[in-house]
Amino acid sequence: MASATAPTKVGLLSSEQWRTRLRSLFTVLGAIAVALVLGGGIIAVAGGSPVVAYADMVTGTFGSRSTIRLMLVDVTPLLLIGLGLGIAFRGRVWNIGAEGQFVIGAAAGGAFAILSPIQEPAVLIPVALIFGVAAGAGWGWIVGKLQAAWGVNEVISSLLLNYVAIFTVAYLVRQPLRDREYYLPQSEPIPAAARLPDIPVIDVHVGLLIGLVLVPIVMYALRLTPFGFRTRMLGMNRDAARAAGLDTKRLVVWMMVISGAFAGLAGIVQVLGVESRLTNNLDAGFGFTAIIIALLGRLRPIGIVLASVFIATLTIGGDIVQRTQQVPRAAVFVVQALFVIVLLVADRLVRR
Amino acid sequence: MDWGSILGPAALIPLLNAGIRLAMPTGLAAVGEALCQRAGVLNLSLEGVMLSGALASFLGTHYSGHAWVGVAAGVGAGMAMAALMALLSVTFKTEQVINGIVIVILAGGATSLVYDKLFGVTSTPPRFDTLPSLKIPLLGSIPGVGSVLFDQNVLVYVSVVAVGSVWWILYRTRFGLSVRAAGERPDAVDAAGVSVDRIRWYALLASGAMAGLGGAVLIVAQLGLFRDNITAGRGWVAIALVIFGRWSPLRVTAGALLFGLTDALQLRIQAAGGGVGTGVPFELFQALPYIVTIAVVVAATAGARGDAQPKALGVPYEKEVGGSEN
Repeated sequence: MASATAPTKVGLLSSEQWRTRLRSLFTVLGAIAVALVLGGGIIAVAGGSPVVAYADMVTGTFGSRSTIRLMLVDVTPLLLIGLGLGIAFRGRVWNIGAEGQFVIGAAAGGAFAILSPIQEPAVLIPVALIFGVAAGAGWGWIVGKLQAAWGVNEVISSLLLNYVAIFTVAYLVRQPLRDREYYLPQSEPIPAAARLPDIPVIDVHVGLLIGLVLVPIVMYALRLTPFGFRTRMLGMNRDAARAAGLDTKRLVVWMMVISGAFAGLAGIVQVLGVESRLTNNLDAGFGFTAIIIALLGRLRPIGIVLASVFIATLTIGGDIVQRTQQVPRAAVFVVQALFVIVLLVADRLVRR
Repeated sequence: MDWGSILGPAALIPLLNAGIRLAMPTGLAAVGEALCQRAGVLNLSLEGVMLSGALASFLGTHYSGHAWVGVAAGVGAGMAMAALMALLSVTFKTEQVINGIVIVILAGGATSLVYDKLFGVTSTPPRFDTLPSLKIPLLGSIPGVGSVLFDQNVLVYVSVVAVGSVWWILYRTRFGLSVRAAGERPDAVDAAGVSVDRIRWYALLASGAMAGLGGAVLIVAQLGLFRDNITAGRGWVAIALVIFGRWSPLRVTAGALLFGLTDALQLRIQAAGGGVGTGVPFELFQALPYIVTIAVVVAATAGARGDAQPKALGVPYEKEVGGSEN
């Protein structure tokens, strides 16, 4: 906590805080190293060479402009969802429905872009983004409200709502929004005016920029505002927070609304920036991978940026290794899960 | 849409029969989860455990040609995944919610990896015949009831025995007493000289066996094939059913039957051409089991205010280390 009476301060933090952060960083790096060794074993069992595979992942991803671009395109949804989950998890509100919030945000914003009578980018893009954010937030609100009003476990309800969201989109792309010229169900394309412009030089859509702008905002909100203070209190001890007069129920609802809004934003950004239409496989596992990212990034915005780049590299690298080493890309998900498992154990051992 | 063909007298018996059959995978996992939560461990890894059991049972049956080998493999894989959950949650005492979610992600990746490596993504997926139904002599001939209850797949009977065993263990054995105490007053269990961690390990392994069996029943008795995420959320529904059933194996089973019946009904409606003829989208029926589950959990939690929930659920038991005060 940024206490004003800390004896020595380096920047915003005391030396004690720097020490705990460094220890936390080294635990993460150590856990990643161990998990990479374990993952190497899996690659070997799957018939590849671990050393070549890892080398291919790094050189393959950073070797060309186009693969770096692909990696940054993948970073965008992971970063956006991860930032929101980082906030909710700080308050120990376990939103695992980001997949559904992402998909419903994509659907709401995408449907607006497709159906809107106004074809002016200056109107179309912001309004579509707002639709996406609102839909994701609303999907999260359901979960938060159920938890606050009746104590319904948010893990269960948020997860089950994923399926409801997925079937909703399946209906939209099969019926009302369907592109009749295609055999497989998918929506009509969004109008060109709704496409997100690219950031100059790196040629990645501006969604990435939105994510990066949100990083310091989330940092500020968590560290220096009453909201951030309440969130951290909620996460440390919910009973104590309530005893101290905090409206914990309302805060739980807010945690769900905020993390849902981030996921919904990620969804509509993905549609306007990458997919340019609604399909049945919009999410591509981002919702669950972002959980890993939030945890690897220690629920801190900067950590989440680093974890997003790291995991996106692994994902793009996984596609490359699938071709060069015949290791199925699902291996990447196994290695990601191993990162967190090893990290959990390492944390426990360090604390002893 | 012809509602007579869906709910008419002639259709009712096959509907109830199918409902029981479809209830089994989820029901097994849910009853195992109830045992585990009674011991104080919130095992959210269920979906991953079921998925692992499903793949193992598929591989076992595919390669050996014997369904029972598949079932044994499914139970074994379920217990192995549960052992990982126990290692993290009980031995290392890390956050149970995170452990569960991460194991689900791990199992999703691992099953997909193994299946892709063995069968490739493009080849025609291998299948085998599911187990035929086994009509019990005499009982199976009772009109109505016989066709619903005693003309089922052999694994349905196994499942009923498994569910009954959990109930018996929980309420009629010394171990069951320790399990219930470990979820309510772990300190008292500890004071009585019984290891809380050991009880929780056993409870988790048992829940892994049940969920693995559930995954095996799904594959060996119902589908005869495997694909990514084939359990389709049944593990999560099972956890919801534990809340609905207020941690009692019998009420949890009743919830599973309700879920199975919803599933059978929505399949029937889809088959009868719901959506095409009526304008009601079939996706609504596909989403129905999940919506019903959410509604049922809301009703259960709102009604009970969570007082049936084990007091120590989700809280790792940390022994008071001697030397600090006495």
